[in-house]
Amino acid sequence: MKPAPFEYHAPETSVEAASLLREAGGDGKILAGGQSLLPLMNLRLARPSVLVDLRRVQGLDGTLANGGIRIGSMVRHGQVQRSHEIQSRVPMLTEAMRHVGHPAIRNRGTLGGSIAHADPAAEAPLVAVALGAELVALGPDGTRTIQADDFFQGPFMTALADDELLTEILFPEAPASAGWGFREVARAHGDFALVAVAAVVSVEDGRLRDARIAVAGAADRPMRIAAAEQALEGAAWDAGTRSDVEQIVRDALSPAGDSHASAEYRKSVAGVLAARALDDATKATGSTA
Amino acid sequence: MRTVSLTVNGNPVEEEVEPRLLLSDFLRHELGLTGTHVGCEQGVCGACTVLVDGETVRSCLTLACQADGTAIQTVEGLAPNGGLNVLQRAFQENHGLQCGFCTPGFLMAATALLERNDDPSEEEIRDELSGNICRCTGYTGIVRSVQAAALQLREGTVTASEGTAG
Amino acid sequence: MTTSLPIDHELHPAGAQYVGAKINRVEDPRFLRGEGRFVDDMSLPGMLHAAFLRSPVAHANITSIDTSRAAALPGVTAVFTGQDLEAEGIQPIVSRAFLPGMGDNLREPLPTKKVRYVGEAVAVVVADSRYIAEDACELIDVEYERLPAVIDPEGALDPGAALLHEDLPANLIGRKSESHGDPERVFAEADHVFSHRFVHGRVAGVPIECRGVIAEYDRGREGFLIYSSTQIPHLTRSVAAECFGLAESDLQVIAPDVGGGFGIKAHPYIEEVVIPFAARRIGRPVKWIEDRYEHLSSAVHAKELVMDLELAVAADGTFLGMRGRYNANAGAYGCFPQTGMVDAMCAATLLPSLYKVDHVSYEILAVYTNKCMTGTYRGVGWGAGHTAREVLIDDAARALGRDPLELRLQNCIPSEPYRSVVGMNYDGGSYQESMEQARDALDYDALRERQAKLREEGRYIGVGFSPFVEPAGFGSKAAAAVGQKHQVTYDWGSVTLEGDGTVTVRMGFHSHGQGHETTFAQVAADQLGVRMEDVRIKYGDTEGVPYSTGTFASRSGVIGSGLIMRAGGDVRDKLLRLAAHLMEVSPADIELSGGKAFVRGAPDTARTIKEVAQYAYFGPGSRQLEGDMALTSTRSYDPPESYSNGTIAVVVEVDPETGKVTIERTVAIEDCGVMLNPTIVEGQVAGAVAQGIGGALYEEFVYDDDGNFLSGTLLDYLLASSMEVGPIEVHHIETPSPVTDGGIKGMGEAGTLAAPAAVLNAVADALSPFGVTFTSTPITASLIRDAVAAKREGEQ
Repeated sequence: MKPAPFEYHAPETSVEAASLLREAGGDGKILAGGQSLLPLMNLRLARPSVLVDLRRVQGLDGTLANGGIRIGSMVRHGQVQRSHEIQSRVPMLTEAMRHVGHPAIRNRGTLGGSIAHADPAAEAPLVAVALGAELVALGPDGTRTIQADDFFQGPFMTALADDELLTEILFPEAPASAGWGFREVARAHGDFALVAVAAVVSVEDGRLRDARIAVAGAADRPMRIAAAEQALEGAAWDAGTRSDVEQIVRDALSPAGDSHASAEYRKSVAGVLAARALDDATKATGSTA
Repeated sequence: MRTVSLTVNGNPVEEEVEPRLLLSDFLRHELGLTGTHVGCEQGVCGACTVLVDGETVRSCLTLACQADGTAIQTVEGLAPNGGLNVLQRAFQENHGLQCGFCTPGFLMAATALLERNDDPSEEEIRDELSGNICRCTGYTGIVRSVQAAALQLREGTVTASEGTAG
Repeated sequence: MTTSLPIDHELHPAGAQYVGAKINRVEDPRFLRGEGRFVDDMSLPGMLHAAFLRSPVAHANITSIDTSRAAALPGVTAVFTGQDLEAEGIQPIVSRAFLPGMGDNLREPLPTKKVRYVGEAVAVVVADSRYIAEDACELIDVEYERLPAVIDPEGALDPGAALLHEDLPANLIGRKSESHGDPERVFAEADHVFSHRFVHGRVAGVPIECRGVIAEYDRGREGFLIYSSTQIPHLTRSVAAECFGLAESDLQVIAPDVGGGFGIKAHPYIEEVVIPFAARRIGRPVKWIEDRYEHLSSAVHAKELVMDLELAVAADGTFLGMRGRYNANAGAYGCFPQTGMVDAMCAATLLPSLYKVDHVSYEILAVYTNKCMTGTYRGVGWGAGHTAREVLIDDAARALGRDPLELRLQNCIPSEPYRSVVGMNYDGGSYQESMEQARDALDYDALRERQAKLREEGRYIGVGFSPFVEPAGFGSKAAAAVGQKHQVTYDWGSVTLEGDGTVTVRMGFHSHGQGHETTFAQVAADQLGVRMEDVRIKYGDTEGVPYSTGTFASRSGVIGSGLIMRAGGDVRDKLLRLAAHLMEVSPADIELSGGKAFVRGAPDTARTIKEVAQYAYFGPGSRQLEGDMALTSTRSYDPPESYSNGTIAVVVEVDPETGKVTIERTVAIEDCGVMLNPTIVEGQVAGAVAQGIGGALYEEFVYDDDGNFLSGTLLDYLLASSMEVGPIEVHHIETPSPVTDGGIKGMGEAGTLAAPAAVLNAVADALSPFGVTFTSTPITASLIRDAVAAKREGEQ
């Protein structure tokens, strides 16, 4: 169980990294923390001929708070988890990090790496979608910003071109009236989510506003449940709404079953977790809805 | 081939490595530090855990060339005088190991935990060690060992690196 | 409880101070310093590295294998296939038939004609590094002609089913039926009959160290040195010698430190033939280290059984009869030495367990399928059968409105020795007492009250009990009792007093976590009155230690201690005579303790045992003593049947909407007779329980209908971590065995055997308001949630 041979580069700038990717002609891979890529390479399920290691690239490992927060793509999960600045601005992200693997994985794995890897059951992509993050990509022709909703295109598939790398993730400032909830069920602690749900919602005058609900593990990508968000707009968070949302989320999904969980399980638990995440979110607003 | 320079257990090392060489293989087979074990090469079992710049890392999910410029600590570096440090001794006194294969990984994970927190709750210990699989002990002895070591560290009778004649 | 021992060996001779004490393990420091020596830590001069190409298909004829591209890769020394081994006359590994109608199973080390499961080795590459060897495996071109895969054990014997082994008439490994008493009558007359089909998931020991082999060929002596991560160095030598047509002592097999076994390493494997073959052909040492995919796909699996159980119960709750049919999905090959019958036979013969049942019948069969072969895993089929029975008993209790523990107590055998209706000779134990102790430890009544209260809040906790008997100290008689009369066990060991007063014990029992270097040193030190630190336990090297069938089936503690008591007693007698001679007193007046020999009651007369040993080896006066004065003795021991017992109780909380199970508490009551070292007993119990919890909730090897293997990583085959297992409390009862040396009973498997039933019963108890019951393992979150949902829908 050893990786196939590859050419290795450790450039010092992201521009250089992008041009190395371009030279690799679609057969290159970015090495960020390596916690998803290296197991696949050890199993020879991934075998890039060129590996571009970002460890020496400057400027990808910082965070900058400015209303929302910009997080460099090489910031490690463990750093995200321990950052007070992130916790105060994007507490859902802090909470989600608890569910990412185990300490040693979080010490190496990066936020950008996880998002670019686009595992449909991973936590970071889910939070990015739920919070409407903006993803900054750098290619040979410069940078562009991609909305999280457009970024994830399928299992392990993103809007990044072969010669683009993710440099930054921007989480917008949450309105003061918003609360959030993050719920996950995994087979075991630290394992990939069977299903996870991230929800944010504001409460104004006892009414729910601007809900965003996203589900991981029950579709080919982290998926917003627009029908549920619409149903919540202007509603009160009572037993009827709760049960409606549970049903809507469930009906919006058509996951495949596998040896870890049935399709019905994933649908149904997505509904259950959505309701629970909204319980947490509405409670967190401090207002009664 | 690429040159990597790093320190391992405080000793400077400079070696030529193939880019695909895993850090686990580098430590074990290039440097002869066979105390770090390999249990899955899938990033799950934690047997290969070492400290890179003080933080736990799966050496099977790290390329040797990624370790360029770092300081690595392995189980061989825990008690340099050939004895046992307080954590190692606690494992012996609390039956924290059976076959001994996963043990180095657990020691490194527990070392990192105790560096940050010398009074972890049982829940925190279990959480922190949950990335390391032991198939022998049922974890009972391991958790007790870490608690015992933490207690000794808190009481200040010993320091983490203090060894005793083994 | 005391029972007189009809044996002249004493576990606690005068002056004994170690046996029974909680003593820290002496082997620990080397592991704690990272100085253990496991196979992959070894390197021989000129050593090359091997990788196997393994079959990606479940069942196919091999039409052609082209190794030329692989052989041409720089760094590759050689590529071998089954043809190369066949050409040199390497014989297959034979798993021998032992029942009428059963055929021998012959497994070629590398197949020449067919592959029969995904993961089966097809060719081996030897290269400068493992990396290059794996590169070359990708360059081997194999053409397969696909055949239908046989996956379902119930369909394996259908006339239309594809045949795995063309030399056999069907995919049947073996079949056997037994009936005791008059089960037909009691089932016809019983007030209640409960039955279910229980499908036990395919699991395995999955040690953290995978297997590994290093082989070196000595051309001059025409012999092999083989390092292997195995529980059974001697059996491995026996099988490899047979395959190569060599005398056993032409091979030296060394099992160095071994990183866990759990039964998976208790079988000889083809790699232990192929790697030596490669080393001989190339003329250089060759190392192969099994990777995790190879381990999961190709080291033995276990316990996959389809079990149809019936329980006949009288109106007052008395168990009248049990019937069982056990069909083992045993995979593609027979495992040496037990064959694929092992799980079904063990499950069936322990059907009555600790219940007083006079009418029992069973049918067992095992079939070949296109999956990895099955072999032993801690608790073997005993565990699978136990889970099916105990779950059915809980179902019966619920149906009858009886408390599950009370129902079990009502039907429990007495604590005296007892012969079960199927012919097992229990040597007495705390069968009822252990259940009562588990109940008290849990504060059962308070727990039931809390359960009721939490249910009102919409929270679901449950408790499950699993009382067990564990066949242990596995010798030939125990093997016969589980239907394996063909499995003669053979174990001997020696105790030697060296010239410096230290003691060397040589035994074939390998230690891979059991702590033999500690427990056996305790026994030996007490026998000879030396200090523990002056005892060395040698094992693992066929050249250096006497023959042993190996460490498995909770046998080492009983047999090893018996050997040391016997051989040590012999040496002790000579030591007493020597000391008496030296001190000019009678041997009867000498006491040995703490490394000294002294006249009883007069410690100031002491001479150190070192002095006595030196007198024996070098002192001229000692030659005046008559008789054989070699300070060494070699003895064998084949103990009678003995059985540990106890009860495991588990408390869980279940989230019915997500199926998530949280284990709140595990209580294990263990009675393994006289304990050598309670610390080690507790460690064994806790570790076994954790594996049992894993098997109940998480672990399963999954194949799809075409035989594709879906569990090739530890993310798929999920092992429980410290977060899942939770705290485990161990309580002891000590009922000495009246039949074994020293009253010791083997232990170590019960947790794996019994914990799954406790977990399943606890989850079903928690979910009893929904009427959910279980008929398979593992009960995953998905299975639990879906079962609750099905019941809820059924009510609507």
